[in-house]
Amino acid sequence: MRALCWEGVGKLAVRDVPEPRIRAAGDIIVKVRASSVCGSDLHLINGYLPAMREGDVMGHEFMGEVVETGPGVQRLRVGDRVVVGSVVACGGCWYCRTEQFSLCDNSNPQPVLTEKLWGHSPAGILGYSHAAGGYAGSHAEYIRVPFGDVGAFPVPDGVPDDAAVFASDAMPTGWMAADFCGLKGGEVVAVWGAGAVGQMAARSAQILGAERVIVIDRLPERLATAAARLGVETIDYARTDVLEALREMTAGRGPDACIEAVGMESHDVGPTYAYDRVKQSARLQSDRPTSVRQAIMACRKGGTVSIVGVYAGLVDKFPLGAAMNKALVLRMGQMHAQRYIPMLLDRLAAGEIDPGYLATHPLPLDQGVRGYELFEKKRDGCLRTVLHPVG
Amino acid sequence: MMSRATRWALAGVGTVGVVGVGRLVARRRRRHQPERQDGWYVVRRGITVDRPRDAVIGFWTDRERLDRALAEWATLERIDGDRWRCVAADPAGGGTAWQAEITVEGPGLLRWTVVDGPVRQEGRVELVDAPQDRGTEIRAELRYRSGPVRRAFGLVGGDEPDLALRDTLRRVKSLVECGQIIDTRRDPSGRSERQERATDKVREKLTTGGRA
Repeated sequence: MRALCWEGVGKLAVRDVPEPRIRAAGDIIVKVRASSVCGSDLHLINGYLPAMREGDVMGHEFMGEVVETGPGVQRLRVGDRVVVGSVVACGGCWYCRTEQFSLCDNSNPQPVLTEKLWGHSPAGILGYSHAAGGYAGSHAEYIRVPFGDVGAFPVPDGVPDDAAVFASDAMPTGWMAADFCGLKGGEVVAVWGAGAVGQMAARSAQILGAERVIVIDRLPERLATAAARLGVETIDYARTDVLEALREMTAGRGPDACIEAVGMESHDVGPTYAYDRVKQSARLQSDRPTSVRQAIMACRKGGTVSIVGVYAGLVDKFPLGAAMNKALVLRMGQMHAQRYIPMLLDRLAAGEIDPGYLATHPLPLDQGVRGYELFEKKRDGCLRTVLHPVG
Repeated sequence: MMSRATRWALAGVGTVGVVGVGRLVARRRRRHQPERQDGWYVVRRGITVDRPRDAVIGFWTDRERLDRALAEWATLERIDGDRWRCVAADPAGGGTAWQAEITVEGPGLLRWTVVDGPVRQEGRVELVDAPQDRGTEIRAELRYRSGPVRRAFGLVGGDEPDLALRDTLRRVKSLVECGQIIDTRRDPSGRSERQERATDKVREKLTTGGRA
């Protein structure tokens, strides 16, 4: 079958690879119908998470059709159109039992590196390097999904593939970001990043009761899309002092909750950003936390900072004093896909959230390399490239 | 030209630096060494399984399920009443790696002794109720004959009783909680056979040991 593989830092190629096979009773094989690129893939492609091996199949946000099930699979049938959470969860450990699926104890078979880096190993993630288990990814014609009954969910009829695909990762990540904020109704929420996750976080915050949502980015077309589709206010950080603007927009209080949906390759303007880039290039820090710093500084006293952008290691100049003295609540994590997906699919079917517009560039799998280039360089108004391995 | 005084000063600073770093490294290494008793290393490891104690004991007494679980890496046969013989397969496929005798000493308590293996070792396992409805703590104490050099080589080469114990505890937890040990070797990839072999070595490194 054809698959988009990582070939070295900054290099991708479409290759012929063997088809996956059922390996355990709970496995299912999914014929991929739509597989989205994701901002966190860029960290892998560009070598910031140094656990990729040449030939690894990329991709973790996808949906498709069940074509084979292991003997232990009970909930799914061949022919089901399903969306699969990118985080692998066993369904049997304490973390899964308490719905903290991205912390699953048993789904990362290669936990040694993450245990050294982070003290404990979180769940495995499909197509997300050997630090996250070494699973083959979804930018392929077929993918093996372990624990199919736990991680795959039938898509309601009428929901198109290019909308359902975002229920795999961008929607649950955005929802969890808003969920972390503990909204009670009437809050002002600021969201850093107008990518797919940031826009889904903004929409989720609206549904959960935020009165005003302010989205921060530098790409005019993304800000315009967010404003038009979601009715949010926007700040272009390349033209405006974000902290000043947020203070003014909230009459001095600062946003009640700040969501960071950017991650370790965060961009900014000015000398601090140049300094961060140099340090990161020299591997003196692994992550650039520009937007986290801003979120902490902007947040109102006693407010919540919710981080769903992906970070991997160490950061410099983290304003811990601001967080401590303002008594902020910091919440963060990889999303618990399996907790949120069923509820999100219901909302999708009801038309309450419509993420289909995020798929600005549907492309065949063979054009995967170009798809990532469009996405990374933000060319042609690309918000997300969605690859279609079959037709 | 450097004066004699400068040379002495530099030599002095260098020596103090080297000795200082050496002491720090030695202290760190000592902190990471397991306890030693009469030529035996003693390590204690534990893992928490999200099942009540009876369910964990039940797993080991359900012969059919146990055989299925152990299929790939060991066989278990009963010698008499409370004694069992466990023969573990060499993961590389080179036949028997070691044979152990396991004695059940009571509910939730067993001991093992390796009777045929490269390193003399014995150990005990105790099952304890975990607090806050967190299931069962499997607490293991392993004693094995080895020396610092052999241990260092073992840790680097991934062939060390302590690493094997941690692997085993993780496998047991996974088998009890989700009925399988997840494996991503042979997942599709665009690698050549040579690249795949190299990747398997990396996988082995990332799989062996860990925090139990």
